[in-house]
Amino acid sequence: MAAAAAAGQVDADTFRRLYPDDYLRKFVEQGLRPDGRPLAAARPTSIGLGAVSTTDASALVKVGSTTALAGVKCEVVPALPEAPDAGRLVVQVEMAPLCSATTRPGRPSEGAQVLTEQLSALLGSVVDARQLCIDAGKVAWAVYVDIYVLDADGSLHDACLLAALAALSSLRLRAVSIDESGRVQTGAAAAAAQQQQQGERPAGQQERRLALSCQPVSLTCGLYRGRLLADPTAEEEPLLEAQATATLDESGAVLGFAAGGTAAVGQIVVVQCLEAAKMRGKEVRAMLQQALEQAGLAADADAS
Amino acid sequence: MEYVSPEGLRLDGRRPKELRQLKAELGVLASADGSAMFEMGNTKVLAAVFGPKPIENRSQEDEKRCLVKCEYAMASFSTGERRRRGKGDRRATEITKAIRNCLEQTILVELMPRSQIDVYVQVLQADGGTRCACINAAFMALAAAAVPMRDILASCAAGYLESTALLDLNYVEDSGGGPDVAVAIHPICAAAFKPVAPLLSNLQDSGGGPDVAVAIHPNYQDRVVLLQQDNRVAIETFEEVMQLAVAGCRAVGEFMRQQLLEHTQKLAAARAAGEQQAAAAQEDDDALDEDDY
Repeated sequence: MAAAAAAGQVDADTFRRLYPDDYLRKFVEQGLRPDGRPLAAARPTSIGLGAVSTTDASALVKVGSTTALAGVKCEVVPALPEAPDAGRLVVQVEMAPLCSATTRPGRPSEGAQVLTEQLSALLGSVVDARQLCIDAGKVAWAVYVDIYVLDADGSLHDACLLAALAALSSLRLRAVSIDESGRVQTGAAAAAAQQQQQGERPAGQQERRLALSCQPVSLTCGLYRGRLLADPTAEEEPLLEAQATATLDESGAVLGFAAGGTAAVGQIVVVQCLEAAKMRGKEVRAMLQQALEQAGLAADADAS
Repeated sequence: MEYVSPEGLRLDGRRPKELRQLKAELGVLASADGSAMFEMGNTKVLAAVFGPKPIENRSQEDEKRCLVKCEYAMASFSTGERRRRGKGDRRATEITKAIRNCLEQTILVELMPRSQIDVYVQVLQADGGTRCACINAAFMALAAAAVPMRDILASCAAGYLESTALLDLNYVEDSGGGPDVAVAIHPICAAAFKPVAPLLSNLQDSGGGPDVAVAIHPNYQDRVVLLQQDNRVAIETFEEVMQLAVAGCRAVGEFMRQQLLEHTQKLAAARAAGEQQAAAAQEDDDALDEDDY
């Protein structure tokens, strides 16, 4: 039947639906992907900063048609007794029901929970929670990073991480002041209060940016008939024998590696994957830097 | 707080009977059958439509009409204060029901028996009037998915503060404690009475074949799909505010009609280009075939 179809009796779209595996194989054998890119190429990527004005920082990231929107909101909260000199970073990934035909409303899906867990651990190591302390033992910042997947077309980890990184890179923590009665003010009111308090005990802080220990960027690769496909789409993902996501920082250190699938991944594949992720990281960081500069938010701290 | 200045301007610089800036973009999500981004000022809503498709839960199957499923959600960073809205959120449930009601009245459900249409609405940024923006976004997404509908579905809110009727309230005005009227209408049907009458006579002149289709319109005349109002208000004021909201709906409806027209023209142009290419390729193929023989 597949042979008959291949003989041209069925049009390409029908063939694609009926025999997705044969369809992909024919492309990969030619060293191409169904969307026209080479095997090792990622999809065109764009970063838009400040997409949502109700947030303290936000970023809309598109990788091909995969779309992730990250919004950061900061709140002043009482410090936790177990960590008096640290604030909190809370990361949450949500797959909005409109992101794909198969996502259902209701409880967070398995995929969303796994992503939340992976990104929480990763970003927790990038943002030192001690810099979120305002007054030790009393108040601290809680930084909420909410990432919404608006269109799920594969390689969600990469898009979500990039959206979170871009939003956090453009974040400025508002000025905070604390008066004698312990009342906390933020924003412009706090800056004014600080001016008045000059000479006295410096309670609170000025507006500042968040310090990130590194810039993690990830790349997902899939193994298909012995070939490595970078940045697979939702159409390719279920056909892959194995899938691996490598996260590296700008110095080339590996921050995370997650592999899964039906076939075990050989060591060579791991090395290839890391190498590809390194290349992709360079490209993406340049893009992020450009976006930050355009928004007038270029990280001056990075120069030092 | 002063909501209307002595010069007759509102907090954001608008006149009392002025809408906020409207923006619409169709087909923003690749995986959905239809999608739309709709903005009313700072309120930004994304809607996606999946379907019509075979029904998922057999027990809900209806052999006379299709099932419309709707889900409304607010991004936790969409409002001034970050909040975690749980599933059991009563406000979300109420808005979901209002949207679904509007859509069920607009979609020609009887044309698609035993099927299902899923509509998901996500508020990305909220600045008052989310209910109306959601209804407008959902309609645009349905139109982008080519779901058959009775009419354009347009929605707009109006309120009454400091003895002035105000159109399309933003968040600050919405929380001002005055009455707030949200209306959704089928604007063509509502406005149809005058323009349709000559059309009707024309058709009757020409033999009257399709007059049934046109005759329906007057039946829908001034059809209000949704009308919600809160806070106490005098009956005269209510009528004034409602008239203003309906006028707002017509304006929104006209805007959406324009946007849909532009979108369709773009699609038609792209399709014509595609067909030309295909025809050219076909000719090349034919030429090759002839060479073979």
